[in-house]
Amino acid sequence: MENNFYLIGVGGQGVISLGQILADYALEEGERVKFFKEVGMAQRGGPAHSEVRMGEVFGSRIPPLSADLVVVMELAEGLKTLELVKPGGMVILNKKKIYPLDLMVHPEKYPKEEEIAYLFEEAGARLFWIDAGEIANEVGLPLAENIVLLGVITYLASLDKEIILAVLKKNIPYEVEKNMAAFDRGYKIAEENIAEKEKGEA
Amino acid sequence: MRKLLTGNEAVAEGIIEAGVEVVSGYPGTPSTEVILTLLPLVKELGIHIEWSVNEKVAAEIAAGAAWAGKRALTTMKMSGVNVAADSLASIAYSGCTGGLVIFVADDPGAHAGMPEQDSRYYAKSLVIPMLDLASQQECLDYVKLALEISEKIGGPVFLRSTTEVSHAASNIETGKKLKLEKKEAHFTRDIAKYTKAGSTWCMAQHQEALNRSVLALKVADNYVTESGIKVNETHFEPDSPCGVIYAGAVEGNFREALKRYQLKISWLKIGMVHPLPEERIKEFLAKVDRVLILEELDPIIEKEVLRLASPGDGEKKVKILGKLGHLLPLTGNYSFKQVKNALEVLLDTKLEAEPDPQLLQRAKELEVKRPTSFCVGCPHRGTYFALNQAIKNLKYKKGEIIITGDIGCTILGMNQPFESCWTEVAMGASIGLAQGFKWAGIEKPVVATIGDSTFFHAGIPPLINAVYQQVPLTVIILDNGWTAMTGFEENPGTIPLKEVNRTRVDIAEVCRGCGVEQVNTVDPYRPEEAIKAIMESLEYPKVSVIVSRRECALQAKRRRVKLPQRQVDIEKCTGCRICLNTLACPAMVFHPKEENNKPYMEITADCFGCGLCAFTCPTGAIEVIKDGE
Ligand code: SF4
Ligand code: SF4
Repeated sequence: MENNFYLIGVGGQGVISLGQILADYALEEGERVKFFKEVGMAQRGGPAHSEVRMGEVFGSRIPPLSADLVVVMELAEGLKTLELVKPGGMVILNKKKIYPLDLMVHPEKYPKEEEIAYLFEEAGARLFWIDAGEIANEVGLPLAENIVLLGVITYLASLDKEIILAVLKKNIPYEVEKNMAAFDRGYKIAEENIAEKEKGEA
Repeated sequence: MRKLLTGNEAVAEGIIEAGVEVVSGYPGTPSTEVILTLLPLVKELGIHIEWSVNEKVAAEIAAGAAWAGKRALTTMKMSGVNVAADSLASIAYSGCTGGLVIFVADDPGAHAGMPEQDSRYYAKSLVIPMLDLASQQECLDYVKLALEISEKIGGPVFLRSTTEVSHAASNIETGKKLKLEKKEAHFTRDIAKYTKAGSTWCMAQHQEALNRSVLALKVADNYVTESGIKVNETHFEPDSPCGVIYAGAVEGNFREALKRYQLKISWLKIGMVHPLPEERIKEFLAKVDRVLILEELDPIIEKEVLRLASPGDGEKKVKILGKLGHLLPLTGNYSFKQVKNALEVLLDTKLEAEPDPQLLQRAKELEVKRPTSFCVGCPHRGTYFALNQAIKNLKYKKGEIIITGDIGCTILGMNQPFESCWTEVAMGASIGLAQGFKWAGIEKPVVATIGDSTFFHAGIPPLINAVYQQVPLTVIILDNGWTAMTGFEENPGTIPLKEVNRTRVDIAEVCRGCGVEQVNTVDPYRPEEAIKAIMESLEYPKVSVIVSRRECALQAKRRRVKLPQRQVDIEKCTGCRICLNTLACPAMVFHPKEENNKPYMEITADCFGCGLCAFTCPTGAIEVIKDGE
């Protein structure tokens, strides 16, 4: 058995720390873990991604058609993961759009939500839409966008909630209450929208 | 104990467990995190760890410690080996008494930019045995092994990693800290060993280095590490005519494919890539008919295998697949797909279907490009803005003045919106290159831009050269006080933290000491002053230096430096976007007309308060947020 998580977004969104939590979780669970982080120029507005693989895995990168769960923190960045999605796998699409300089002036050039959704559906993915930024704002911690998504992931991938929360507290020891609230909101939204039996293998 | 560690963190763990007493290095992706991991532990460990001024100096420091009998290790990226190679060649000839390991991280795929050069060639040319890391567990185990080999053979050992291994993490078993005998530092004078005076000594040393390499292979070939890893390992699958020979980071993808497709093929893993285990390779070739070589970058192993496989009379011919027949590329790191495709050719069978190419093509077309730019409040933004403005004020057209760039964050001045830098070569090269343009007859001013750490690293000799040769040149040193690009390491210009003993070296004083007569220090947050100084410099008949000094905004933020933030008065803002187009500060968000009745600029709470945007706004719409607002 293996479980592959691919997380993608733009520098500053917490893609790497989200991956770190999942990787630490797998370690706690006693699973074999591979964790890859693309740091590159993320700090300077560039793309960022991380990959967490649990179970009987050897390579640190997820092979094509093998990602059980793809988490797209910045919508257009998700286009880079089309090759990786496992048919029948789950893709979490966060509605956040971060415009580079030229698109700020021409926002109409940014790819349409429907087109992105269409491509993923053609690739056989099941989609879960969320506006995690909005929810993070509502709990009063805009930075917790990734933690809202952690809640969603925990439900959709049937991770052990107790262990995830323990890891979360250890990795992010500040603003604990708000982070917990962000997590809960994400978890609940996933629970309300996706029935237990529809979660799939991920 | 089971821990989740990246390759570089595992190297750091290995350094601790192996009892290394002196660690030196120069930051460079993907090698930097080894020392970054160790530095916070420096007191606890009671050892010396330093960011040296460049890789050559770092290597010399480690060698000195090893010549005094201690265990020492130095770290660098592949480009750094070029810098250190001059000293390393001599050090390798002399050998050492304490354990000496050179950790080098290559970057196939050029994730961090710079030439993809394959540092395995250095092992051969410098006569230094080399271990090639294939997994995070090896990162830990091989530090100990490399030191053991080094002490046994009496010479330095290369430990080579790649981005894929250094930056990925996995669960690994940490071992026990070695109990080493406490040794007093001691160096015996032996000029036949430690100097290079005369051909007799040099050739004798050369021969000894060659002998040490042979010995290194003897130690490594059948070595099994504490956690059970075999350095060189042969696996025979009696029923398969196919085999794979591999080394380094490709191991992950290769093993993944073995498991995924339940492949039963023979394989040979090479952990010591110099010298190669020729006997083992020959033995392997005798039992297979077709062999695929998996190694990233240059076909070094492949060529050797080809040589070893050339049949003598009556011997069978083995088919070798790899880069030379263009099955696999000479550039980049191998993806799983590339490894899978190569295995399909080896086995002459299809292993798995691939994603729909049309979908991928469409997705590629829609992708959003994200050119990297300076961070919010970055002082370099101010410097390039002032430079462009000074050029404009002197009535030169955009693109008329050659600006040589250099390594580090400062090179981002090549991107939009500044488009200032024209070249990027190597550490310190901006200043040398600029002189070449002048001697070639470029009459307009030539400018070199360089960061503080890059200047200390290799910018001083070319500056002295420009003074001595009387070359009219504008050198702008963007001094933000940190080696920022690689993760904010200290350098000799960094204002020392209270808890460390350092003597700060002032760049402006260095330049004066080098004989530069006109040295001006400006603040890039005050563009008027900076523009004026740069204009003066562009018209100065000799080399002149501008030190544009302001701490890296990210580091300043960490130290909780607070400057008055800016906001836009929407009434005054005409939505002209001059601020955005000249500065592209990530704290700016433009709201086009569609959203509201009028277009306007917003400055978000990310603003660091550098004040540059206020300077560019023609209507004075950008103002300081008053207290309490
Ligand atoms: S330069 Fe001034 S007027 Fe023009 S968009 Fe920026 S804030 Fe508005
Ligand atoms: S003052 Fe202007 S340019 Fe400087 S950080 Fe704030 S928004 Fe960016």
